[in-house]
Amino acid sequence: MSAPAQSQQSTSRERILDRIRAATQPSTAAASSYATLPRNYIHKGALNADARVNLLIERLREYDAEVIEATPEGLPAAIAAQLAASGKRSFVAPAGLPADWMAPGFDWKIDRGLTTAEIEQADGVVTAAFCAVADSGTIVLHHSLAEGRRVLTLLPDWHLCILRASQVVERLPEYFDRCLQPPALVTWVSGPSATADIEMTRIKGVHGPRFLHVIVVHDQDAPATNSN
Amino acid sequence: MRASLFITCYNDTLYPETGRAVVALLERLGVELDFHPKQTCCGQMHANTGFRGEAFSQAKRFVQLYQDAENVVIPSSSCVAMIRDQYPGLFEQLGNETLRRQFATLVPRVFELSEFLLDKIGVEDVGAYFPHRVVYHASCHGVRALHLGDRPYRLMAKVRGLDLATLPNVERCCGFGGTFSVKNAEVSSAMLAAKLQDVVSTGAEYCTALDNSCLMHLGGAMHRQYAGMKTIHLAQILASTEGSPAEAVA
Amino acid sequence: MSQAAGHHAILDPTLAPPFPQAALNVLRNPQLRKNVTHAIDVIQGKRARLVAEKTDWQELRSTASAIRTHALENLGFYLEQFEARCTAAGGHVHWAADADEARRIILDLLRQENASEVIKIKTMTSAEIQLNTFLEAQGISAFETDLAEIILQLGDEEPSHIVVPALHINRSQVREIFARRMGLKNLSDDPQALTAAARRYLRQKFLTIPTAISGANFLIAETGSVAVVESEGNGRMCLTLPRTMITLAGIEKVLPRFEDLEVMLQMLARSATGERMNPYTSLWTGVTPGDGPQNFHVVLLDNGRSSILSSPKQRQTLKCIRCAACMNACPVYRQTGGHAYGSVYPGPIGAILTPQLMHMQHAQSLPYASSLCGACYEVCPVKINIPEVLLELRAQVTDQERKQAVRFFDPMYLGLRIANLLFARAWIFHAAQRLGRIGARVVTRKDGWIHSLPSVGGKWTQTRDLRGLPSQTFHEWWAARGKEAK
Repeated sequence: MSAPAQSQQSTSRERILDRIRAATQPSTAAASSYATLPRNYIHKGALNADARVNLLIERLREYDAEVIEATPEGLPAAIAAQLAASGKRSFVAPAGLPADWMAPGFDWKIDRGLTTAEIEQADGVVTAAFCAVADSGTIVLHHSLAEGRRVLTLLPDWHLCILRASQVVERLPEYFDRCLQPPALVTWVSGPSATADIEMTRIKGVHGPRFLHVIVVHDQDAPATNSN
Repeated sequence: MRASLFITCYNDTLYPETGRAVVALLERLGVELDFHPKQTCCGQMHANTGFRGEAFSQAKRFVQLYQDAENVVIPSSSCVAMIRDQYPGLFEQLGNETLRRQFATLVPRVFELSEFLLDKIGVEDVGAYFPHRVVYHASCHGVRALHLGDRPYRLMAKVRGLDLATLPNVERCCGFGGTFSVKNAEVSSAMLAAKLQDVVSTGAEYCTALDNSCLMHLGGAMHRQYAGMKTIHLAQILASTEGSPAEAVA
Repeated sequence: MSQAAGHHAILDPTLAPPFPQAALNVLRNPQLRKNVTHAIDVIQGKRARLVAEKTDWQELRSTASAIRTHALENLGFYLEQFEARCTAAGGHVHWAADADEARRIILDLLRQENASEVIKIKTMTSAEIQLNTFLEAQGISAFETDLAEIILQLGDEEPSHIVVPALHINRSQVREIFARRMGLKNLSDDPQALTAAARRYLRQKFLTIPTAISGANFLIAETGSVAVVESEGNGRMCLTLPRTMITLAGIEKVLPRFEDLEVMLQMLARSATGERMNPYTSLWTGVTPGDGPQNFHVVLLDNGRSSILSSPKQRQTLKCIRCAACMNACPVYRQTGGHAYGSVYPGPIGAILTPQLMHMQHAQSLPYASSLCGACYEVCPVKINIPEVLLELRAQVTDQERKQAVRFFDPMYLGLRIANLLFARAWIFHAAQRLGRIGARVVTRKDGWIHSLPSVGGKWTQTRDLRGLPSQTFHEWWAARGKEAK
């Protein structure tokens, strides 16, 4: 930015902050008054693990996502079946996607720096996720190595997401409890894209994947973990 | 039990029969009523239009007039809302410590009519008889400012012969809004048309409410359009008995 | 001249006609009114079901209100924290005191990129500063990518709602706009087909235009992050694919912590569109190497917000999270739609925000565009007592107007000043009642009703009769009864 613009900037910044400070003059420090804010809403759900997973599946199906369940041993076969049923050939895989999830017989493009054009040409994408919130049917992506860069779950028209049952929470505050620190990138996905801008008629699949498939892996014997 | 009746400026001028009904009803229930001859207005019209200084002078007058009243009963939920919700701000801005104290001691003694019947006297069956199909319009101040809840319905449930219709969109504003009805007369009329459609669709003979302001607006359109329905304040239904049926209403 | 509205809406508060006049244009348009009530009733129904299902709704409201109040009370602290954290994460933060400065900052950034085109995520804040018109004049095309915004942009229309901006336009009107502007002769009016047409129209733009402009639903102070809440995915396209992202955000958008989203996200979609959660919410922090725009700028906009902060009663206006629940609940909005408010912020929130952003110099009719029914306050997820602020603003407008000489003869002002004199003493009031009774006889018909009144009264009798004044007031009856008893 040019020098005059820069000094204008510092003037504006100071002017705005001065106006704000003159207008507010808080009596206690922000941190202490933040700590005493009322929080009497429900922080944790009451459903047991099975009920939670069933609720998630119900909500996902309400969005017309296709959901199947699998055991950890049966996962690779379940993935292969989903890919085969899709009728599609080429799939993008995030760099950290487990090798045994990449079913043979398909054209896998592993993201080690794929171009936008290459991603745009793929038929679908397979990823893991960080967490899922059952009561709103929300899948949360932190875009780690097994979840992929944000563009991977945006351009392809078909997305297969692998969720572990231990990743499912009932209510949104429980997801936030699982974040040891705030993530730099998050995408909360609650069903395929939709618009109701024309006469309030909900139409799916404006931009972003129109087809969402989810495999819920029943790993309840495994300890709950935040990593993928 | 003693109570002072604050009739409200517009009831005094335009709907004295509502006042007469309140008197008949409360005296029947054993309440010793008095009427302060110096009362005029609570200041709502001025406050809502932005004439704060004027509203303050009327508010001050009201508080000073009713200092020694055991209870103040008001057959108008919007006036009670004015007193509870807006007097504090007016006295904060324009009043003094004495006035604020006077108000603080008075306000717990101020009641809207249905509140007085149910919460103070503790009666649901007031011995009323009104053999007509009636639809109840829930005025906004009653619903959202006073949180009257089911009080009017509990009273109406005990009125013998009364056939209560269900009003669709019962909590939607009728469009009166005080000076809004003339400052934004066209929008007010559009809201009125929508409300009238719901009201008339019930097939009731009477439309009732706890506020004559809403009823003046609804009734004025019913009369203009030959809608075949009349308005009547709930006090008049509650005062009505076999021996003394409600006065002929418009 | 747009076909949908039958008039060209002016959403510039310095130019728009007063609300009663603007409303009249709309009231005479049955198509528009039908489109509005249909949309409103759908959202209201969905919202009501979901709120009933959420057993901790009122507790969430209380916390949401408390968080927003706290953020505003400590706004300087949180804005500085946001700036520091965002900058540390590779973003650049700019401060714009007013609309003019915001436009110039954005233009400078675009010139640095040699940008002749930008893609935009819907943001009311950019409409507030009239950014698109300004950029066009500078030779930069700003392409809206929200379906509703495309409809408005291609149809040369103005938004009428802050969440569903094209709700006043029905499917056949959309079809007509798309067929004409996209050159699609055989396009049907099925919403599915219309949406698919928009998807194709935008795809190339997303993949090729390297510069994007967004708003922000929330700024997170503790992390320097930005959150964008959307349904269609065009937001994700704009905030992922381009090289440069410029986020324009009002200074009031800040939340203290990341975890505050656990409350806000539960409230926003339910209030705005009647869904448990909107399809996509994105959060990003500065620049992430290899993922998303590598050149990221935030423009913090004041434009009147800091002066709203200084009044304790009015400050609550800034708690708004732009959910539009208030306008969906408003019985006035239901009849008039958004254009009547002459502002990019319509409905109840617009009636209080717009005049304040204008420093009470314009849009003075808006605080009166309400029957004070309170439905807005009842549904506001952050508990803005809109009726309280409306009354506060009415008092300010009256104080302004009564100083003007012309108001002395204004029937409303005259009438209210006279009424105040009457109410000051019972005997004056009673005398006036007696006089009124006599005077009313002139206009009272045989059926005992008044059908026509002059002046301000004529506004009543346009559509309503008024029962004639009874021959005895209540206090006269009481006094007579007392004498009889004696």
